[in-house]
Amino acid sequence: MSNVLKNYLAAVRATLTAALTLQDFSSQVVERHNFPEVEVRGSKEVLLNALTISRNENERVFIEPSINSIRLSIKIKQADEIERILCHKFTRFMMGRAESFVVLRRKPIPGYDISFLITNTHSETMLKHKVVDFIIQFMEDVDKEISEMKLSLNARARTVAESYLSMFGS
Amino acid sequence: MILLEPHNTIIRTTVLEKIVKPSALDVQFVDFDGVRFHLSTPDSKTTLLLSMHIRCWNELVQYGALDVLKREYGSLLAATAEPDYNVSLEIDLNQAPPEGEQRDDFVRKLSLLKTNAVAAPFERAFKTQKQLEANPPPEGSQSELMAIHYRDEEAIYIQAASDRVTVFFSTVFREETDRIFGKVFLQEFVDARRLSALQNAPQVLYTNREPPLELRGVPGLTLSDDIGYVTFVLFPRHFTKPDVAEATITHIQLFRDYLHYHIKCSKAYMHSRMRARVSEFQKVLNRAKTEVATTERKTISGRTMQSR
Repeated sequence: MSNVLKNYLAAVRATLTAALTLQDFSSQVVERHNFPEVEVRGSKEVLLNALTISRNENERVFIEPSINSIRLSIKIKQADEIERILCHKFTRFMMGRAESFVVLRRKPIPGYDISFLITNTHSETMLKHKVVDFIIQFMEDVDKEISEMKLSLNARARTVAESYLSMFGS
Repeated sequence: MILLEPHNTIIRTTVLEKIVKPSALDVQFVDFDGVRFHLSTPDSKTTLLLSMHIRCWNELVQYGALDVLKREYGSLLAATAEPDYNVSLEIDLNQAPPEGEQRDDFVRKLSLLKTNAVAAPFERAFKTQKQLEANPPPEGSQSELMAIHYRDEEAIYIQAASDRVTVFFSTVFREETDRIFGKVFLQEFVDARRLSALQNAPQVLYTNREPPLELRGVPGLTLSDDIGYVTFVLFPRHFTKPDVAEATITHIQLFRDYLHYHIKCSKAYMHSRMRARVSEFQKVLNRAKTEVATTERKTISGRTMQSR
């Protein structure tokens, strides 16, 4: 892991840990309902200030805290067309399995590639620092995975082209 | 398996089997590019009828496919093709060559039916090149551009010049992913020739969207981002010797299938990778879950409590 990435991840980790102070909070609008306030945005006073941590124009994390839930959206680095398609495929693959990733949102918020929604129920049933670890590891690995996939695609293309053309040489 | 086989495996295995033990048979199967085959025994168990339907048959006949097939199959070629099919071969199993190399060659030839049919325009182009080389045409004139519409939206164009034969493939990518993967692959085809070991390979050029200069003005070309044009420039060293020419033709026909096969393979590989990676993430997340205490609860008399 490069040093630059380390600082970025450290900032995300600190912010996320600070933001993960959630409590049970029933809806003020509908009686006997309990919504993630960051999603419904029904009452202004329970929403906190949103925060963007950005590494460069292509990579940023958007954290929106509220009293009983926080939403974290990640924009993954996409340098070219191939990375864009690989990133799209990968996030779609994960979001298709959002059921088993309890904190994952089925759809990213506009402008980002993948979103997580952590509610007070999650913070009660799961260890807070481990959830943070998961998000950080995800951010670390997704970049690595995408660049590895890209390399393997290029390597395959090369082998394929060479073995096809070498048949003409003989 | 990096390279695709040029012959049709079903023809090969079925015919080999039936030579040893003739029996009634009626199978229909397909090959690349929407080619349909029908292998049957209409009259007697020992007479196999192998019919083929190929989309671009009319074009192939125009470029001399019948002559090539006559040369390759001789008396096997049926005078009239089976209805719904373009060409038929009648194989008398009693006259099949004895076991060994001869029989293998015979069966192999049968299984190359599609390849041989499509080979006609290529052979014609090679012949034209020789003629042009012997008496050069006036400056600026172009020889005939042969088009083979072997798929609904894709075609092969072949043109001979005095010093080379150029083969153009138009290829359509249906999906965004295919298009981008295809671009990576085709770029490598262009770059691979820089290797010293591949100096003898034909030159490959690739353009996206815009057809190459030679194809401008050809009717039926659509302008779209999904279409790519691949150009192979074959030099006399690729087709002067008959055996080399045959290998070249066989090979170049399979180009589209080969390219798309490997695009699909890469997608499958990406998928299996993602699967592994996602299950890895799942494990990390599961570590975060607090364990629910699962101690066995027992009554005072020693019976276990169970929730149903």
